Amino acid sequence: MALLDANHLTKTYKNVNAIQDVSFSLEHGKCVALLGPNGSGKTTTLRMLAGFIKPTSGDIAFDQDSLTKDFRNFVGYLPQFPVFHNWMTGKEFLIYVGQLAKLSKDEAIKRADELLELVNLKEVRKLKISKYSGGMKQRLGIAQALIHAPKLIILDEPASALDPIGRREVLNLMRELKKDATILFSTHILNDAEEVSDEILLLNEGHIIEQGSMHELESVQNTVTLKLAFSEEPKFIEDRLKEIESVFKVNQIDKDYLLTVHDLQTARKQLLEVVYQENWQLTKFEVAKTSLEDLFMKAVKK
Amino acid sequence: MIDQQLLLMLLPLIILQSILLIVAIIDLIRIQQTNGPKWVWALIIILINIIGPILYFIIGRRP
Amino acid sequence: MQWFVILKKEILENWRNFKWVWVPIVFIIFAVMDPLTTYYLPKIMDAVGGVPEGSIIDIPMPGAVEAMMMSFGELSLLGVLITVVIAMGVISGEMKSGVYELIMSKPVKYSNYITAKFASVVLLILLSLILALITGWYYVLILFGDIAFTALLTSIAFYGCYFLLIIGIVLMVNTWVQSPGVVAFLSIIFIIALNALTSIYGHIFTWSPALLSDYIQVYLASGELVSEIWYSALVALLFTYLCLQFAILTLKNRAV
Repeated sequence: MALLDANHLTKTYKNVNAIQDVSFSLEHGKCVALLGPNGSGKTTTLRMLAGFIKPTSGDIAFDQDSLTKDFRNFVGYLPQFPVFHNWMTGKEFLIYVGQLAKLSKDEAIKRADELLELVNLKEVRKLKISKYSGGMKQRLGIAQALIHAPKLIILDEPASALDPIGRREVLNLMRELKKDATILFSTHILNDAEEVSDEILLLNEGHIIEQGSMHELESVQNTVTLKLAFSEEPKFIEDRLKEIESVFKVNQIDKDYLLTVHDLQTARKQLLEVVYQENWQLTKFEVAKTSLEDLFMKAVKK
Repeated sequence: MIDQQLLLMLLPLIILQSILLIVAIIDLIRIQQTNGPKWVWALIIILINIIGPILYFIIGRRP
Repeated sequence: MQWFVILKKEILENWRNFKWVWVPIVFIIFAVMDPLTTYYLPKIMDAVGGVPEGSIIDIPMPGAVEAMMMSFGELSLLGVLITVVIAMGVISGEMKSGVYELIMSKPVKYSNYITAKFASVVLLILLSLILALITGWYYVLILFGDIAFTALLTSIAFYGCYFLLIIGIVLMVNTWVQSPGVVAFLSIIFIIALNALTSIYGHIFTWSPALLSDYIQVYLASGELVSEIWYSALVALLFTYLCLQFAILTLKNRAV
């Protein structure tokens, strides 16, 4: 059963559609990445699901109940650039938002302590937030999103603005969270999506252009990428490679040749024959899986 | 005669004014950043009677 | 419950940034300054001398009511200005910094948010006002003469209505723009317009909240509460209510 169904969401700002006819559903317990280039409408979509803005048309149903008026009760939201009351301590802030989310003071204190432990901010809980580093603030942001044990956790670019260490911390945390929560997060970084998500929604220019599990998306594409490298650059290699019938695209990245092929078996046979005939000094022959990047680029270029 | 009464009347004001000044200075020391250099605000608070600390609290404190 | 949580947070914030210290002190100084200088300036000039022999300085000493009105007058000007400055960022500042988005991602009712913020400013300003006017009254008592304490308290109650309206206006403007400076500017324009219209058409708008201090003067002098003072106070409260409702509506629509 779906936790959330978004039906034909459209948001118009001054006659410009930020997102248009976006429909999808989130299953219980899944971690879904909303992937897309900057300006594709990710933040608008998330803000809508967080109850912060209302759609121009379309509706959002929680637990198949489209009458739920204020679903902020069930959603924890981390904005792209979370800002806190910097004069508060981390713990004070968590208790404050906990109480705003209708926890009693005792519950809020208890929950704040648990979450500070979880996001590894226990040592700095009595420090003013103004003294926190970027990574600490991001983790505090995640903690505040979790304070009222929401059914759905929405994270807007949770790891994008962080240094590699901070990013690693956040991704590990998300992996921890996805064990028992439904997560929807946006990112423009493919690796992050590949690393933690079960499903992907690919958004471009306000439209959803692909959606499904990682596995589905790969098989839909039905192509394989081969990676070849040679010790010395053979002459006319590109032309020669293009002549092979099973190869329909050749790209060169640094010294690697990326070949997009339809049928792995035939392509391998034909390729190796050519390599043998021409006596090319092959140093690398790799079957790369269709990476999300290819998918992403293809989808966006459509 | 007048001097003594005047002093008595002014005393509460002087006390309040000193509190204002001290609180402003304490805050200036503790705060991380101000709008503009700290030493300028220190001068304003100390040199401009009453209005200095008020200006500091309104403009100088960076939220 | 949620309302109290927001109010408590505001009070704590005003304590940590020392507003609870400096605002009352500044209001007290405003209220005391004028009666004090009016009383002592001629005496000091006398004592210092420098006035040509034979010339008579004849500054009539004001009565107790006039002196008390000096306190009110200072607060109507500088007190209002400080009030605008205090309230200019309570919502616009949170929107500008972005903390508003985080707060509003929790199930916070817009009416709770606005009215709790309103209450926090009202608490700070009214307490400062009461402290200031009582201190001013004490000085007037010693230097100029008697005014009944109950009369003072009644005056403060009516005067407070004017300040409620000021705070209501600033909060309403807070929801329009995200820059505290612009909020202060627009609010002051509003307040000046209110006072200017009242001084031009005062004979028609006898219920204008800007006339409250005039009616208070009448009351202190005669001991009589004219019916207009009630109308003015009621209009002030009504407008305050409308400002807050309008502010709530603006925030709700912002979310659409």
